[in-house]
Amino acid sequence: MNVRVGVKLSEAIQTFELTRHFNSLVAVNHINLEIGKGELFSLLGPNGAGKTTTIRMLCCLLKPTSGTAQVMGYDIAEEPFKVKELIGVSPQETSISERLNCWENLSLIGEIHRLTSTETKRRSQELLERMGLIERSKDQVRKFSGGMKRRLSLIMALVHDPEVLFLDEPTLGLDPQSRRAIWEYIAQLKGKKTILLTTHYLEEADVLSDRLAIIDEGKIAVLGTPEELKKNLSDKQTMVIKVGNLTAEVMSGLRGRYAEVEQRNDELILSASELDFKEITEYLYSQGITIRSAALKQPTLDDVFIQITGKELRE
Amino acid sequence: MRFWAFGKRNLKEIYRDPLALGFLLGMPIAFIVIFSFAFGGEHASPLNISVVNEDNRSATSEAFVQCLENMENLEVNRISEKSQAEEELSTGKLSTYLVIPEGFAQQAKQEGQPVKLELVFDEADPMTAQRVEPVIRVAAAKFLQISSPLDIKLLGQGVEVKDNYINYMVPGMIVFGLMILVPTGVRIIVTDKEKGFLSRLLTTPARPWDFILGYALALVPVVAVSTMIYLGVGMGMGLSMVGNLGLAFLVFFIIGLCCIGIAMILGALFSSEAQGEPACWFFLLPMAMISGAWWPTEQMPSVLQRIAAAFPFFHAMDASRQVITGGASFTTILPDLYWLIGWTVVLFAIGIILFRRQMAS
Ligand SMILES: Nc1ncnc2c1ncn2[C@@H]1O[C@H](COP(=O)(O)OP(=O)(O)O)[C@@H](O)[C@H]1O
Ligand SMILES: [Mg+2]
Repeated sequence: MNVRVGVKLSEAIQTFELTRHFNSLVAVNHINLEIGKGELFSLLGPNGAGKTTTIRMLCCLLKPTSGTAQVMGYDIAEEPFKVKELIGVSPQETSISERLNCWENLSLIGEIHRLTSTETKRRSQELLERMGLIERSKDQVRKFSGGMKRRLSLIMALVHDPEVLFLDEPTLGLDPQSRRAIWEYIAQLKGKKTILLTTHYLEEADVLSDRLAIIDEGKIAVLGTPEELKKNLSDKQTMVIKVGNLTAEVMSGLRGRYAEVEQRNDELILSASELDFKEITEYLYSQGITIRSAALKQPTLDDVFIQITGKELRE
Repeated sequence: MRFWAFGKRNLKEIYRDPLALGFLLGMPIAFIVIFSFAFGGEHASPLNISVVNEDNRSATSEAFVQCLENMENLEVNRISEKSQAEEELSTGKLSTYLVIPEGFAQQAKQEGQPVKLELVFDEADPMTAQRVEPVIRVAAAKFLQISSPLDIKLLGQGVEVKDNYINYMVPGMIVFGLMILVPTGVRIIVTDKEKGFLSRLLTTPARPWDFILGYALALVPVVAVSTMIYLGVGMGMGLSMVGNLGLAFLVFFIIGLCCIGIAMILGALFSSEAQGEPACWFFLLPMAMISGAWWPTEQMPSVLQRIAAAFPFFHAMDASRQVITGGASFTTILPDLYWLIGWTVVLFAIGIILFRRQMAS
C-alpha cells in the first residue's frame, strides 16, 4: 500500500471532528476517533445516539455536515470509491435481496467487487458452512428467519474479504443463542480485520471489544478498554438495598451521610467513595426500615453507562 | 460488468414475484379481451352509418363509400341529400352520419394534403360517434394509401381487416400495458431504498450508471416479452396486422424504453412505496386518457391535444396505429419516432443525473 501524507499507517479509521446535522438535530457532534488496524472497536449507545449516522458517514453513504474521516488513509469525501473498495458493511436493517438465494446474493456482491466467480464460490461456501447456512443456501432469502438473515448479512459484508468491517448492530433483535453464535464468529475475526461495531447491548461491547466508546446524543462520552472503563468507576462503590417502608426522614438522613442517594421504587441505591455494609444496614434498622436484601455491587458497564449518561441503556 | 450482475438480480426479483408479474401482464390482457368482446368482433352488433356524399359523386368518393360498405361490421346507408340527414338527426332517427365534403377526390389525389371528412353526431348520443370514428379512420387510412381510384378496389379486397375496432383498440392497450412498467420499475427501486438494499449496494464500489443500467436492463426483456404477449392476445381476439410487424414492435419497444426512463426518474425522486406507486398512476392514467389509449383524441379540446402531443405516449399510439391498421411505412411514422427517441434520451439523462445526486446525499 502507498504511504499517504499525514496518515499514521497504524490507523485504519480516523475521524476529524466528524459532525452531521439533520435540520436542527445534531445527530453526530464533533466526533474524533482513531481506530487501529486489526482493532475491534465498539460504539455503544442507546437508540438515537448517532451510531448508525456515524457508520453511514464512514461508508460514504452520508455526507458529513462538517469534519471528515479517513478509512485506510482515504478521505471519505474525496475518494469515496477507494474507501468503498476496502470496506464491508452489514447494515442495521438486514438488507438482502429477498427473492434471491444465498449464493445469488453473494455472487452479486462478488461480481460488484470484481471477484472471479470461482473465488466468490469458494469464499461463499466457506462462510455459509461456518455460519450454518449451507443447508438452506438454495432457498429464497424471504423464507429465512431474522437470525438467518443477520448471518447472511454478515457473510455479505465478508465475502469480498474487506480490510475494514462495519457492523451496525449485528445482533439486533436476535435470541440469545443466535446472538452468541454471531459473537463467536466475530471474535474469530479479531486481529485479522479492523472492525467497527455498534451495539446497544452492553454485554456485546464488553465481550467483544478491544476498545469501546460510549456515545450519547451524538457525542463520545467516554472511551477506553472495557476494563479501564470499569476500573475508573471502581473508585466509587455502590450498594443496592431492597427496603420496605422508606420514609422521607430516612432519605434525608442518608443524603447527609452519603454522596449519592437514589430511590427507585422499593430499591435504595447508595454510592460513595467508601461504603460500609454493616454501618448502612444498622442505620436503616435503627430507623425501623425493613431490609429485604442488600448487596454491594461490582461495577459493570451498565454502571459506567448510567454514571456517564444518566440514562439506562435497556429499552 | 457490475451493471450486468445487478441487472440479473433485478430480473430475478421481477420474475420470481408472480403477483406483480400477473398484475403487470394481466391488466392489459384483461382490457384487450374485455374491450374486444364488448365492442368488437362477431359478438358485437354491426355499426350503422349513414353517408352523405357531397363530392359530386366522383369516382374517388364513390370508391371510398364502397370501401366502407365492404367493411364487415359496418352497415352503410346512403343518403343523397344533406338536408334529409339533418332532419333525420334532429328527429332522432339517426344518431350520426358521415359527410364526404366537396373536394374529397381532389384532396385524396394530392399526397400530403389533409383530407377532410365530417362526422356529424347527435350530442345527446356521443358514444355512437365515438365508436364509429375509429372505424372510419381505419377505413380512410387504408383507402388513402393509394392515390389512383382504380387500385382501391384491389386493396380493399386484398387486405382483409376483420375487425377495425380491435385494430384500433389494441395498439392503445399495448402502450397502456407498457405504461404499467413505470409503477413496476418504481416499486422495485423504491423497495430497494426502503429495505436498505440500495444503501447496502451504495457501500460497494458500484457507480451511478451501474444502478440505472442495472434497473433499466432488467425491464428491457419485460418490454419485449409483454409486447409479444399483448400482440398475441390481440391477434387471438381478431387483430389483423396491415403493416410491418417489426416496425410496430420497434414503436412499442421505444415507448417501453421511455417508460423505463420515467420509472428511473420517479424511482430516484420517491423514497417510499406508499408515495411512489400512487404518484405513478396519478401521472399515467390522465396521460393514457389524453393520449388516446381508450378513445380517439380528435374530439378533445385542442389544448388537451397539444398537451398530449408534447408527451411520448400519444406518438407511440399514433405511430403504432398507423402501422398496424394503415400499413404505414418507416418514413411515414418517422416524426413520431423522433419524438419517442428524443424523449427516451432526455428521460435517461435526467434519470442518471438524479441517481448521481441521490448517491451524494
Ligand atoms: N435521515 C434522517 N433524517 C432525519 N433524522 C435522522 C435521520 N437519520 C437519523 N436521524 C436522527 O439522528 C439521530 C441519530 O440516529 P442514529 O444514528 O440512527 O442513531 P442510532 O443508530 O445510535 O440508534 C436520531 O435522533 C435520528 O432520529
Ligand atoms: Mg442505529
